[in-house]
Amino acid sequence: MKKLHFREYFENYLYDLQDFISIYEGHLHVFNYQKLIKLSENEIILQMINKEINIKGQYLKIKQMTKQELLIMGNIMKVEFNYDK
Amino acid sequence: MTNKIVWVKFYDNNYYKILLKLNSIDVNIYNNIQKDNSVLVQINYEDYKKIKKYLISYKTEIVEVSGILKIKQMLKKYFVFLVTIIISIMLLLIVNKMVFKIDIKSNNHSIQTLLKKELEKNGLTIFKLKKSHSKIEKIVDKILEDNKDVLEWLEIKYDGLIMVVNVTEKTIIKEEEKHDYCHIVANRDAKILSLNIYRGVALKEVNDYVLKGDTILSGDITFNEEVKNQVCASGEVYGEVWYKVKVTVPFVETSIKYTGKNRYNINIKYNDHTYPILKSRIDKRKEEEINIYKLNDFEINIVKEKEYEEINKTLSEKEAYDKALDLVTNKINLKLNKDESILLKKVLKKEVNNSKIYLEVFVITKENIGMVKVIEKEL
Repeated sequence: MKKLHFREYFENYLYDLQDFISIYEGHLHVFNYQKLIKLSENEIILQMINKEINIKGQYLKIKQMTKQELLIMGNIMKVEFNYDK
Repeated sequence: MTNKIVWVKFYDNNYYKILLKLNSIDVNIYNNIQKDNSVLVQINYEDYKKIKKYLISYKTEIVEVSGILKIKQMLKKYFVFLVTIIISIMLLLIVNKMVFKIDIKSNNHSIQTLLKKELEKNGLTIFKLKKSHSKIEKIVDKILEDNKDVLEWLEIKYDGLIMVVNVTEKTIIKEEEKHDYCHIVANRDAKILSLNIYRGVALKEVNDYVLKGDTILSGDITFNEEVKNQVCASGEVYGEVWYKVKVTVPFVETSIKYTGKNRYNINIKYNDHTYPILKSRIDKRKEEEINIYKLNDFEINIVKEKEYEEINKTLSEKEAYDKALDLVTNKINLKLNKDESILLKKVLKKEVNNSKIYLEVFVITKENIGMVKVIEKEL
């Protein structure tokens, strides 16, 4: 059911990251997001601790979702980081 | 129910809006499926309560998944268990097809050694797979052909994981020794009823009383009180034999009636101990075992437990009396051969109390009372 992501947690522990994203073939894993601002077929906007992440693509869907983590699947074409927000 | 994962169906096709709403009320989603007119999400049952509380505008219900998705879920859930079961069954099937012991049924050590070598030569050894019936037959024929001077008959069969080899050695059959000189004597106290003499001289007549060991037919052929020849007497002697039989029959007779309720169980037997896997729910039961696996002292059986109830029947004095007489007849008949019979039954003593009837019965039978007594000839 829920993926454990040992490797990511371990890395986060070592690097002491507040949040991170991992991109795989057709999947994007986001850890420690604050808020899901926008969700549509072509765009997902996430509020992180000190930035906003704008994910653009096609047929975007959320495979798994918890309070801290998101697993997004679809044709991911572009990931933008906006530190102004 | 709190940790239960459920599939919830939203009767709305706006997938993105539903997920945003779920995110806003902190619902964890483990899986989801978008359909034409609905959205399925896999969540905790506790989160479903939140949906019911906060997303009241949506029509939702818990659904049981079916089809390929259910099969996939079941496979995922029980993957390790299924793989273990499949491997176990495969191992069991392989082990069941193997031979773990060879049992040669012969006391002759040289025959045992010879057969061991022959079996080994033909590929029949322990820890090898069992061979088909036709191959076994060919091997048997070959071994018999190669050892026709020693072996008369050979049979190889499988009993569970044991290969049983039955063998008969070739022996010179000696002709039965004929007696030269013998008498026919009484084998018990009796009154002679009939006498058929084939050879010898009758020393007793019909209606004579004889004691055990008395000579009835003699092998001495006499003339003028002088023994002229000695032969082996033969003939049939039937006599009246008397018995006193004591029997007790209780008035209350308990019989068993099956209720038709059956339960199945599995038991493991090892070293004369039986270990049932499940606790039996039937108090009064008869068990029938079907063996599914056997390796030396280790057995696995399927047990069919048949429930029964005890029915107590109270016999009248006459019924108990008749039953007692039947028991006497059966008891005597067990001793009698084909040409022998019961001539008379007479009750000598009858005692009845509250719980049982006691009979003492005198029985007269017609039995073969002749027995061959071999006499060594004086030189």
